[in-house]
Amino acid sequence: MAKKLPEVDVVLVGLGWTGGILAKELSEAGLKVVALERGAPRTPQEDFSLPRIRDELRFSSRNDLTQNTQRDTLTIRNNPSQDALPMRRLGSFLPGEGVGGAGAHWNGVTWRWNDTEFKIRSRYEERYGKKFIPEDMTIQDWGITYAELEPYYEKFERTAAVSGKAGNLRGRIENGGNPFEGARNSEYPLPPLNQSLACDMFTAAAKDNGYHPFPRPVANASRAYTNPDGSKFGPCEYCGFCERFGCEANAKGSPLITVIPIAMRNPNFELRTHSWVTKVLKDPSGKKVTGVTYTNTLNGEEYEQPAGMVALTAYAINNVHLMLLSGIGKPYDPVAQTGVVGKNYCYQTGAAATLFFEGRQFNPFMGTGGLNVGMDDFHYDWNFDRAPHGFIGGYNVAGGMTHGRPISYRPLPAGTPQWGKEWKAASAKWYNSAMIISSSGSVMANRYNYFELDPNYRNVFGAPLMRMTFDYKANEHRMGEHAANVINRIAKSMNPTLMNPATARTEPWSVVPYQSTHNTGGTIMGTNPGNSVVNKYCQSWDCHNLFVLGAGVFPHNSAYNPTGPVGALAYWTADAIKNRYLKNQAPLVSA
Amino acid sequence: MQGMQSKIVLAAALLALAGGVNAADVKRGQKLFEECAACHTHERGAQNGVGPNLFGVVGRKAGEVDEFRYSPAMKRSGIVWSEQDLDAYIADPQAKVPANRMPFSGMPDARDRADLLAYLLSALK
Repeated sequence: MAKKLPEVDVVLVGLGWTGGILAKELSEAGLKVVALERGAPRTPQEDFSLPRIRDELRFSSRNDLTQNTQRDTLTIRNNPSQDALPMRRLGSFLPGEGVGGAGAHWNGVTWRWNDTEFKIRSRYEERYGKKFIPEDMTIQDWGITYAELEPYYEKFERTAAVSGKAGNLRGRIENGGNPFEGARNSEYPLPPLNQSLACDMFTAAAKDNGYHPFPRPVANASRAYTNPDGSKFGPCEYCGFCERFGCEANAKGSPLITVIPIAMRNPNFELRTHSWVTKVLKDPSGKKVTGVTYTNTLNGEEYEQPAGMVALTAYAINNVHLMLLSGIGKPYDPVAQTGVVGKNYCYQTGAAATLFFEGRQFNPFMGTGGLNVGMDDFHYDWNFDRAPHGFIGGYNVAGGMTHGRPISYRPLPAGTPQWGKEWKAASAKWYNSAMIISSSGSVMANRYNYFELDPNYRNVFGAPLMRMTFDYKANEHRMGEHAANVINRIAKSMNPTLMNPATARTEPWSVVPYQSTHNTGGTIMGTNPGNSVVNKYCQSWDCHNLFVLGAGVFPHNSAYNPTGPVGALAYWTADAIKNRYLKNQAPLVSA
Repeated sequence: MQGMQSKIVLAAALLALAGGVNAADVKRGQKLFEECAACHTHERGAQNGVGPNLFGVVGRKAGEVDEFRYSPAMKRSGIVWSEQDLDAYIADPQAKVPANRMPFSGMPDARDRADLLAYLLSALK
């Protein structure tokens, strides 16, 4: 029998970026806030200091900052005709776990998604006609606009110390930035990072080919910085241990050096770690939630934590799982095409070429999470005509390396033996003389890419695992081929000594090799309860005192990394709760 | 005579150097300290961050701030921090104390260091 604890105003399930932002904002508004984090406590002082944080085997090969699949995982299959099997090791994506969440070990790339995404269906229908969108492509408008979110992007960028160059300042196109981005009200809080040789060579080649390269915006502080909340950042040291690692120099935008320590100093806020939420509880009417049950993973004790409001702020996939386990909202059924919880799971796709330049020294070990030059000519340039190419969405191309770590960075010409003397010789010859051009592509929602509870497998708490059904569709294959052609054209124009060309991913998706941690959908946002789980304030249509944050609310996936809108939506939701919901506890959008 | 002359020259040079230090720009040094402030506090009794609290660093033996977990290299260094030691350490931390674990690649510009130290010394008094 779970021990019932005294009621609090707000329970947060998970303490990464979204939980941290709500923890700070809502405790400052006078609410009693408790965060329940399933993983371990963590601070940069204790956990990210040298030399222990530069342990590639521990943190990268063995994923020390991420979810433990022995306790909970997903089952995976490509299509509904297959039997799904549990993912017993992390591979394709790396959900964060522990205080700070994925915000501790991300690269920091921070984009502003705009109306290209938020109005996707209406914009494509308007330009290309309704028939251009395949029948099984379940994309939809989100119900939010870039103009509404712009101030919150700015707030998040200032919190997280984003370095970059504006390409569109209040409608004026700026040299050196991304000319296709949405209009910004202000410059980035910090100038771009120092560019590497690979960045400079890609920039020149992209320009020669008529494209518009720019330094990617990234929450790696290019110089010392104090954010508006007084959190101090050191300058990035280009150590090359960024993604999969905590930052040793307090230079990466992380909730652990910004919103979380501020909340921790507030007596209204309490953090309980090793606290695994098993269910969100509803009242008998089913119109409100009343709190959560959770298990202390250290001793197995169970608790009920009553709360006036619950926010799901865990990793996107885990938020979806908790909704399904709690029976909130109607589960999605791809055959009947009813229900919404679990709908529109999306991923990303990509292609990459490796270019070898005999005699050039790239020094890839001097890297950081965002040390790349990007170009958006086939993504946010709406003038790029998709009709001849037959795909919806787009891809971003980037040149440069983010690290040159000894285990995982091993550029070798195709055909090099996988071990032995020749492998060693080629490793030594090319380690410092190669560079990479890659693409990151969007994935459009599809009727048959979704989540549901698995009928066969259970986690360590006895609850059903969640089943993921996912594969790339023809839309993504066509886009991948277009991307590979563009990458190879740019690469060839640079006259490398040797080159491993980019190829499109057309084989079935595999969960084994690492690809991207940008999982989206399942608790999607939309304009009405029939097409979505939450309204544009991330508020549940079913239970108005339940908020679901994170990338699970995205109805489809962009080519862009998700953390920009994840952070902006957290600030936007915090404001909606503080300024509107507390005054009138009711749906913020009428159904 | 020859010896006396060279002593005078040396004294003049030292004076000039001292003048240089005095002329250091404390305000500029405060700005430069922002590079350090993400990890180091310098107020009396302030908490250690990723790096140790710097209050009273001059004249202190390296590796002795309470509750801070130093690298073996720093503990073994035997340094009793003088201004010259600090200047050399900030210029190139890994050259001065090899294998220490401060993640800072150094401040190569002598004037930057002079200003930074001028600020630190004034702030630490």
